[in-house]
This record gives sequence, structure tokens and C-alpha cells, in this order.
Amino acid sequence: MKTPSLCSRRVLGRRIGLVSVVATSLLLAACSSGTSGPAAKTGGAPSGTLKFIVSSSDASDAGFRAVNAAFMKKYPKVKIDFSAIPNQNWAATNSSRLTAGNVDITLAGPKEVPSYVSASAQGDDARAADAGVYADLTDQAAMKRFSPSVLKATQYKGKQYVVPTGLSYYTGAYYNKKLFAKYGLTVPTTWDEFVKVCNTLKKNGVAPLGVGGKDSAGLVMLSAVQGLYPTAQDKEALNQGLWQKKVKLTDSKPVQVLDRVATMFGFAQRNFSGVAGSTIAAGFANGEYAMIPDGTWDTPTVTSAVGSKFDFGYFPIPTSNNAAENATVGGKVELTLAVPSSAKNKTAALAYLDFFTEPANYTKFVELSGFASAEPGIATSDFLKSLEGYTKTFSPAWDTVFIVNPKAGAAAQYPFNYGAVTPLGSSTPAQAAGQSQKDWAAGQ
Amino acid sequence: MSEFYPFGRRAGLRTTFSVGMGFVIVFAIVPAAAVIVISLTDIRGLPYIPVNWVGIENYLTFFSGAKLGYNLHALWNTLVFAFSVTIFQNFIALMIAVVLSTKLRGRTFYRAVVFMPTVLGVTVIGLIWSLIFNPSAGPAATVWSWFGADSAFFGDQKIAMALVISVQVWAGLGLAVVIFLAGIQAIPEELYECASIDGASGSKKLRHITVPLLAPSFTANVLLCIVGSLQSYQLAYVLTGPNNPATQVLSLAIFTQAFGGGTSSGSVASQGYAGAISMVQFVIVGLISVAVLVYLRRQESKT
Repeated sequence: MKTPSLCSRRVLGRRIGLVSVVATSLLLAACSSGTSGPAAKTGGAPSGTLKFIVSSSDASDAGFRAVNAAFMKKYPKVKIDFSAIPNQNWAATNSSRLTAGNVDITLAGPKEVPSYVSASAQGDDARAADAGVYADLTDQAAMKRFSPSVLKATQYKGKQYVVPTGLSYYTGAYYNKKLFAKYGLTVPTTWDEFVKVCNTLKKNGVAPLGVGGKDSAGLVMLSAVQGLYPTAQDKEALNQGLWQKKVKLTDSKPVQVLDRVATMFGFAQRNFSGVAGSTIAAGFANGEYAMIPDGTWDTPTVTSAVGSKFDFGYFPIPTSNNAAENATVGGKVELTLAVPSSAKNKTAALAYLDFFTEPANYTKFVELSGFASAEPGIATSDFLKSLEGYTKTFSPAWDTVFIVNPKAGAAAQYPFNYGAVTPLGSSTPAQAAGQSQKDWAAGQ
Repeated sequence: MSEFYPFGRRAGLRTTFSVGMGFVIVFAIVPAAAVIVISLTDIRGLPYIPVNWVGIENYLTFFSGAKLGYNLHALWNTLVFAFSVTIFQNFIALMIAVVLSTKLRGRTFYRAVVFMPTVLGVTVIGLIWSLIFNPSAGPAATVWSWFGADSAFFGDQKIAMALVISVQVWAGLGLAVVIFLAGIQAIPEELYECASIDGASGSKKLRHITVPLLAPSFTANVLLCIVGSLQSYQLAYVLTGPNNPATQVLSLAIFTQAFGGGTSSGSVASQGYAGAISMVQFVIVGLISVAVLVYLRRQESKT
């Protein structure tokens, strides 16, 4: 039974062609009208809507909301439209908001690539900064409030495009002081001591480490690197060595990183490869594991989970046998705020950044978010004070120093190939290192 | 053949057709064509960054020594996933549809239960099954412990893919059952009565009447399933994360390359490369779909 046709094929073809032309021209007209919007407001008292997006994390969201409330109280004419976007949607949301010119404050992290790295490895934010997507904030009053070392870490080609919101440290582990006291353990300062502590805990039926294998196992790898390459210079030398082919991932020290990772995986709780990072704090609070490799950004979460059950502390995971090399915790500059050049309410955006960095407001933010302060002289929590010995010289963690080669294979993305080590993968450390060296070399 | 059209006069029909066609072109065809163009450039994820024409460089990167092994592995995972889901889903859906088409008490309730996963959405399904398969405290862990075993479930390289396939089959059953039910209800009752008179048993009726006459429903279901599961990445992403080698499928590789990257510095690979992988996937899906369609249509015309 042949379906009756509405009109002949030729006429139908012409009709579809006509509709396509109309539709496409409408689409193009809509696109072009988007770029020529009203001129951005500058100068004068802030007013209107301030569109503010950040990548969501419970603690920092609470910090931002507190500052937003205080800002709106000071400037009643401003309404802050604050969106905390979940991590997996961040890139797409940021991109579409920037394209639409529909955001006044966003996150950005332009990173300079050294001369020995190919230009193709430059990240999106750096390319955007080169193209003038972000406003130059170098001369803003807000910038003068930060420590010079933090400003140096966030500058891009001599200019400041971003306002840092704080620092986080993440190559250490929270530990349960009650369990340590119960088994007569002290904080280890060398790798051998650490292994002994873990073995004692294991013998007594307590999982030494709590690792979220599904998404947070990278922290274990970063701690392994921190002890073996403690200073910024060590890590930069490694980065340069890899890019200039002077260092191979199959050399003894890089393989030692993976050996450490494999040993730590052996001390992690049973079946940790299927556990999500978000459940680890709860397990720690229940005493299921004695130590959790985690970042200081999680302090508010861990504090509220543990409550008054026990005291906890934090120490750098000692992956070297030389105690002096284990004396720092690797960190990064946390969320960094930028103002797009296409922002419609620049006045309010700049006023907000100025307000945010004022010591009174910044103290409130730091207290709620769990970040360490990027400004000197801000009162910090007792917990962060206890870490001051490890953090007085800022040591960037490996993932902020290493530059990924987009042409390299997948095993060379981190590049210490922890994802291939059993049980996350099915290789030994030597095999995993070999695979990542092969993928790294293939991209050069 | 009557000339009655539900929309009334032809002018009205032409207008609604044009509006519908307009939507399809603007929201489906123009973006699809744009992907081809994008795959030949090095466009990035943020606006106002200069875009350069790079020709087939992105395709060469896809097939380059550094990435080929990973991409072939992802492709293999995709094929295993698609064919397993199609086979299991259709088989189980057919059995359920046959049961639900009998005069079963409470069959409306059972139909609603079977169809419920379709309504839930990927994120909810992912959350439910992640909780069920939580290695430390979930119900599945408890059941496993009754047999003296324990498992990392989605973290275990050996069974992660099988678990994701099971969840995908469970999620897609509703639609497949509905299509089969519609097909079964279109089969004339007289055929079954004649078969009963001739002394045919239940399984003979299934083999000789139900299955052959369900050929159009099979075509629809199998094709929908294959095309859908060749491109499906949402469940793998939600259940096992974006970087798990056991469940890495090609569409997940596209997603992480186009929209991945952290908040610290933006993604490193260009979206042009993601577009190139999409085109490769399109060609693969297209070839497989056409082959399956031709085969199934031939089977249909045999009955």
C-alpha cells in the first residue's frame, strides 16, 4: 500500500530548500544581534543585576553566599544572581554564558606555558586571556590586598586577570587521633614509618587508608609525587625534563612514584575502586578508616561529619625516606574569579571584587569555605594554624605544574599513570609507567 | 484511498509541515552540518578565541599512534556495549511483552512498573544503581556477602561493563516492551484460535505466530536500540565516571574531550578534535544502522 504523497518530489524539494534558507537566515540574524549588545556600564555606584557563576562545592558556595548577602545589604540597589554550577556541567555552562555575554563574574585560570612546551598545549583560559576575553584587573585596589607570592602564582604574562579566593592543600591526609592513640601510633615523617603505621592498623582490623577510587584516587598519586619531588623547582625540572625528552617516565624515580601509589592502594579499604569520593568523609567519621588522603577544602565537610566523635589532624603523606623532604604539603590557588570583558555590569562586578577582598568580608569567606587565606594577616581556623609548619613555603602540587600534551596518548594525561595500577586498572607500576611513557613519547 | 487529512485543508498542512521542518532544520540539521565544519578547525571551548582552519589534522590525530590504541579500545567497548544491550533488551522485552499480553491479573500495574525506568531519567537511574552497588554498604554488597564474596562492583574492571549493560537494559526495557505489546496486540486473535484447534502448544504459538508477525516491531526495537546504545554514554559516565578504562565508550571520549577539563585551566584538547571523533562515530553508527536495517527489512519481507 503506497503512502499517498502530498506533492511531487520536485515541489517538495523546493519547499524544503526555501524553509532551510529562511530558518538559517533567522538563526544567523539572531546570532549576529547577540554580539552588539548595550555598552557595559562602568563608573558610579553599583546597581542592577550582578550575574555571578562559580563551580559548585558546598563549603565555598556557603562562603560566597555569605559575602553576597553582605554585599547586597551594603548596596541595596544591586541584586546578585548567583549560580553554583555542578562540576560536570561547569565547562559547558561557562562557555555558553560567556558566548551570550550573560555573566559578570566567572572563574578563570589562565596559565602561562613555558617556552619549552609546544603552543598547542596552551589551555582555553590562557587563549581566552590572549584574545582579551577577560578584563585586566592589575590596577584594581583589590589586588593590593594579596600576598605577593599568591599574586605571582596567578599572574598571566605580567598582568592580573583573576582574583584568587584562597589556597588549598591536598597532598596530605586527615587522621583519626583517637585511633592513633589507641594503637600507640605517632604521625609518620618518613615512608618506612608510614608503612609501619599502616601495617599496625591493618593487623588490628582497621583499614589504614580511605580512598574514593571512582574519582579521587588522583590525590594518592599527587601525595606520592610531593614527597619525591618536594619543591616547585623539583617539579618544574621534572616537567621540563619530560617535555625535552631528558627524563623518561620509565626512569627509576618516576616508577618509584607509582610503586608508592601501588603500596598505598594496598592499604586502602576493601573494594575502594568502586567507592565515590563523596562518601569518604562519612566513612572516616564512622571510624572505618584511620586516614583519608584529601584536600583541606574538605575540612568543613569532615568537621561536620566527625562532629565530636574524635579529634582529627592533617599531615603530609611522607613518601620519601628523608624526613626533610616530607615537610611540605602541596597546594594550589583555589577558585580564581575573573570579570569578562563582555560583562554588562562591570561597575557592580569590580565593586564586588573590592568588597570580597576587604579583610572583614574575606575573613568570613575563608572561615566558611575552609580555604587558607591568600591575604596576609587574616585570622585562620585552628585547624589551618596547625598546618602552618607545613605551609609556610608554598609548594605547588604536581597537577598545577605539569603541562598536559594534548597530542599525547591517554595514559600520559597525569602523567603518573595511577589509573592503570591494580585495582583501578590491571597493570603493575612498571607496566603502567611503560604504557604512559609510550603514550607520552608518541605525542612528541 | 480516502483524501481525508486530519489537518483539514492543504494550506494548513503546508504551514504546520513547514514550521515542523523549520524546527528540525534549525535544531538538528544545521548543528549536525556545523559539526562537520567544526571538525576541520581548531575551535576552542571559550568564545572570541581565534579559530583556524586545520583541514584533516584532527582526523589524523584520532588515528595517530598516540591515540589509536585508546580510541580502538573505546570503539571495541562501544560495540560490545551496543550489541549486548540490543540482544538482551530485546529478548527480555519480548518475554515480558508476551506475559503482559495475556489475561494476567494486575497487568496494568505491572506495565506501569516496567515502564517506570523510562520516566526516571539518567541521573536518577545512575544515583539509584550507584547506591545499590555501593561496595561498602549497599544492598548488593549485602547480598554478595551472603555468598561469602565481596566486590568493588563498578570499580572492578572485570564486571563494570556487565553491570553498566544490565542497568542500560533495565532502563530501556519500558519502551521496548511497549513497542512489542503494540505489535502483539495487532496480531489477529483468529490465528491463535486456529493454532489452538490444530493443537499447537504455547511455545509453538510463540515461535510460529508471534515472533514472525512481530517482525516490524523487531525492526523498530532493534534499530532504536542499536543506534541509541552506540551513542549512549550517560549511564557509563554517571555510574563509573569519565575515565574508567573498562567502560570507556567512544561517545564518552567525545564528551570528556569537548566538555571535560577542570575549572583550573580549561580543557586542553580543542572542540575541533571532539567534532572529528563525533564524525567518526557518525560514520560507524551510520554504517552499522544501515546494515542492520537492510537485514531486518529483508527478514520482514520474508514473512
